[in-house]
Amino acid sequence: MSMVTEVNVLGTRALREAWRTPEALAPTLFIPIFFLVVNFGQAGKIFPSSSTDFLHGQTYAAFTLPSSLLLGASFGTAALYLVEEIEGGYFDKLRATPISRSSLVFGRLAAEGIKTVLLTAVLIILALPFGVSIASGPLGWALLLIMTSLWSMVFVGFMQLIALKTRSAAATNSGGLIFFPLLFLTPNFVPRDLLTRPMEIAATFNPVTYVMEGLRSLILEDLQWTAIGRGFAVIAVCGVIMVLLNVKVIRNYD
Amino acid sequence: MSQVSHDPRSARGDSSTALAVEAEGLVKQYRGRGGTVDAVRGVDLHVYEREVFGFLGPNGAGKSTTVRMLTTLMSITAGTARVTGVDVASEPDLVRKRIGVALQEAGLDPRQTGRELLILQGRLFGLSHADAAAKAAELLELVELVDAADRRINGYSGGMKRRLDLASALVHQPAVLFLDEPTTGLDPASRLTVWDEVRRINDRGTTVFLTTQYLEEADQLCDRIAIIDEGVIVREGTPQQLKSELRERRGLDSDPTLDEVFLDATGRTRERKAGEVQEVAG
Repeated sequence: MSMVTEVNVLGTRALREAWRTPEALAPTLFIPIFFLVVNFGQAGKIFPSSSTDFLHGQTYAAFTLPSSLLLGASFGTAALYLVEEIEGGYFDKLRATPISRSSLVFGRLAAEGIKTVLLTAVLIILALPFGVSIASGPLGWALLLIMTSLWSMVFVGFMQLIALKTRSAAATNSGGLIFFPLLFLTPNFVPRDLLTRPMEIAATFNPVTYVMEGLRSLILEDLQWTAIGRGFAVIAVCGVIMVLLNVKVIRNYD
Repeated sequence: MSQVSHDPRSARGDSSTALAVEAEGLVKQYRGRGGTVDAVRGVDLHVYEREVFGFLGPNGAGKSTTVRMLTTLMSITAGTARVTGVDVASEPDLVRKRIGVALQEAGLDPRQTGRELLILQGRLFGLSHADAAAKAAELLELVELVDAADRRINGYSGGMKRRLDLASALVHQPAVLFLDEPTTGLDPASRLTVWDEVRRINDRGTTVFLTTQYLEEADQLCDRIAIIDEGVIVREGTPQQLKSELRERRGLDSDPTLDEVFLDATGRTRERKAGEVQEVAG
């Protein structure tokens, strides 16, 4: 069987698993929307669209939406299912089949990517009543979904790495919390040039910054290829590292 | 080690001498916080085609570790293992195509239905969707789960899960079926059902490599058994041969039970402690 078929079969199963666990899916929608509403409610008046240049005529909700999208894409629930599978023995059952070890990694990543496309689309639609519009048009919409989805695959790759190494739900869950400092060490409330100098330096070294700026440019402006390119480049580098590490760990898994 | 016989032909009455599973000097070491742990210390095994081979031992003796090495799920520290003549370490994918594996704790995905799980398993072994669906239907009938086929597995009883696990290990018609403690935790009725399944599978020509802690199970099902203790094989032969050997060695009037063979082989005795009979290290 080709690797594409293997990934398709395993990915379909992972999607079915997500669909059948709505209680795990709900927070990935609710919490990002909660943050969007709270951030907009707290800072919407401080940054009125009429007099705030960096909003490009939109509301503050449009500026803060990328934070919510990245948050929604960084729950890594797929890795928790993986730990469950390891603990329950089903992972060994899959390892005992003659499929590529890489397919075991990519199946879940692909499912996470597709799931995130759908969740991101719903999140954006829910954000529209807050005065958000996608300034970059239909292509921008598509790039927004793709970039967020690819980020979710990178992040779940990181979580899967913890899951495979520790085989512990607690450790994997705690590992996921690493995203919160990374999310706040970004220009998530104001653009990078308005941050204090130490914060600006921290944000510059934080890869999440470039993904956030890429997403933001797609929402607030017409297609800004430099920002978009940086976002995709960061995802590509992190993605390659995550995939290589995942494949290595799964091949040496005892 | 008291090695009584390698030849199962006398037990089975057939002429097969081809080896289904072969291990020479199999070793597994773990590096733990307290230093190196020798889980398996030089195991030699010869399992012939079409036999039911029982692999017995106390908890922590190295049974599951040996099975995991033979089924490609764990790396081998030293020694060699071949399944149907294929080297486990150098050609793991080919070995995986030829074996079925049902490990302890019935490894199943609770969110799928029984049918979905079997179809998925078939697909992963290279069957088309239609063939996998047909095979799933056939196996569901074999393990008597047709009525529960479209229910999610998290609603299955322990016995149903075991039978489904067994079915999932058979989806690609393996030459060798590895069953790691297939009846642990099952009620007596479910245990008997699993025994029947194992006999039926073996009758169809599949070699069965079975680990168990239940001596009665080994006595009922196995053509030959090996007893492992502290990572080494301490007895090997047919149940009858092992009993006869102990009877002769101890000058007993009648055959001992397999329990007594086991206790003798592992250096354990049974003592009454706190009102209960317990097995203790001798």
